[in-house]
Amino acid sequence: MADDETRTPIASLDMVRLARLLQFSDSTLPIGSFAFSNGLESAIQTQVVTDPDSLLQYVELVLRQAARMDGVALLHAHRAVLAGDYQGILDADSELLCRRVGEEQQLMLTRVGKKLAELVLKITHSPVLERWLADIKAGVTPGCFPIGQAIALAHVGATEVEAFVMHQYGVSSMILSAAVRLMRIDHIDTQRILFKAQERVQDDYLAVRDLSLDEMSAFAPIFDVLVAHHTTTHVRLFMN
Amino acid sequence: MTLHERLGRLDGARELRDFHTQPAQMRAAAHGKVGELRLGFSMRNGRSILHDLYRMAPLLVQQALYWDEAMPELPICAIISVGGGILQGDRYKIDISVGEGACAQVTSQSANRVHQMDANYASQYQTVTLEAGAYLEYLPDFTIAYRGSRYINQTDVVVAEDATLLYGEMILAGRKHHHVDERFGLDLLSMTVSVRRPDGRKLFTEKFLVEKGDPTVDFAAVMRGFDAFANVICLTPPEIATRIKERFATNFEAESPRAISGVSRLPNAAGLMLRVVGVESYDVRNEVRRFWRIVREEVRGRTLPEEFLWR
Repeated sequence: MADDETRTPIASLDMVRLARLLQFSDSTLPIGSFAFSNGLESAIQTQVVTDPDSLLQYVELVLRQAARMDGVALLHAHRAVLAGDYQGILDADSELLCRRVGEEQQLMLTRVGKKLAELVLKITHSPVLERWLADIKAGVTPGCFPIGQAIALAHVGATEVEAFVMHQYGVSSMILSAAVRLMRIDHIDTQRILFKAQERVQDDYLAVRDLSLDEMSAFAPIFDVLVAHHTTTHVRLFMN
Repeated sequence: MTLHERLGRLDGARELRDFHTQPAQMRAAAHGKVGELRLGFSMRNGRSILHDLYRMAPLLVQQALYWDEAMPELPICAIISVGGGILQGDRYKIDISVGEGACAQVTSQSANRVHQMDANYASQYQTVTLEAGAYLEYLPDFTIAYRGSRYINQTDVVVAEDATLLYGEMILAGRKHHHVDERFGLDLLSMTVSVRRPDGRKLFTEKFLVEKGDPTVDFAAVMRGFDAFANVICLTPPEIATRIKERFATNFEAESPRAISGVSRLPNAAGLMLRVVGVESYDVRNEVRRFWRIVREEVRGRTLPEEFLWR
């Protein structure tokens, strides 16, 4: 048995914090994100995604895009929460919505954001989140998901790096859980893809951590056509 | 000569950080390298006219002509670049405004070539302002981003609630058959469009950024198999946007398509976006025309004339 003096002091272990981060990154968190596939249905129909390799590439592209758009807004919102700058949260929120093309993409962004705020407020008390939800209901701010995530995660003590990682993880797990239902692929392959895709998270963070909101950018023209294609597809399981 | 403030502000863009050396030829932003164009259209005696024109070489516009047989009331101006393309150190500024109820079309004389660069970069800052009930088609021809080119473009749009702007950028990723490394061999392509209402309310912003060596350019969801794309926005009231969207069928064949295209709604009820990706420039242009025709018919009750044989 180890000597008591060589053990890490319990207070610095931060176990409750870690446990709550796991809770908030669980894909079963009931906020409705399971209903979205990030365009994967159309990607399969148009043969942009056909097998595990092309699915991995698709996930990597969506992660890269998410980092350069939603990830930037999330980091700004997280910093604004810590600085007590409520207007900074609203700025990140509206700037992100301004850049979201496609009605389903907009709907997904704001519906899940609002649901997350409602859920978190039912299980814990966060004055900032409460104010933000009131502003969503009053039509003052759109209520984008990464902004809600930033507020909620800052509330449970997540650093911005942790919040970014959790956001990116959520994006890939959302696509991969849809993939199991949409294409011939098993859970082992999707776990392998998830494991591999997560390798990029640090590079993505380093690429975007210094960007201003004005610098959010993207470049994926075929993906953009897929988003339009998805809205006009009649038989489908998921939203974009 | 001092650069216009907003044009000058582009010099500070992060993506230009590696491109601030001076050309061995004329220095960047020297007299003769700053092109400026100001076009103002308005209604006079029941007719849309070009009432304001200021130009400084290498940008040039001559008189407005009324040659569109399907829309004879439309004044059309073609932007001419007397420099033979965009060169390193060039700085362009274009301002287009359309007054209440007026219509206009601004296009360009030919493809806009952004030449290879070994120093500095080229930048362009544009403003487009549409007053109540105005209608503008601003559809320049293709921009060809040569290997090694560095080009940054920012467009700030102010559009009244009931006005319609059709604005499009068509890009060819290099001179296709010129060099094995030409396709997306560019150093930098940075294009931003930002849209506001006259009261300052922000509706939509988009920034396209392609930097040298972007590993995703050939991903199947980015540009694999295609060399040209178009980014077209149609800022128009929501009810018109709905009619246009209903008429424009998404085009995405799974088996080796020539071009794919689709229309999505912009945020804040700003209008629509058409995205086209194609093999050749004409494949993309055909899809843009298909959208353009619907927009014109729904907004102004006019159709498009036949395409010219030389286009």
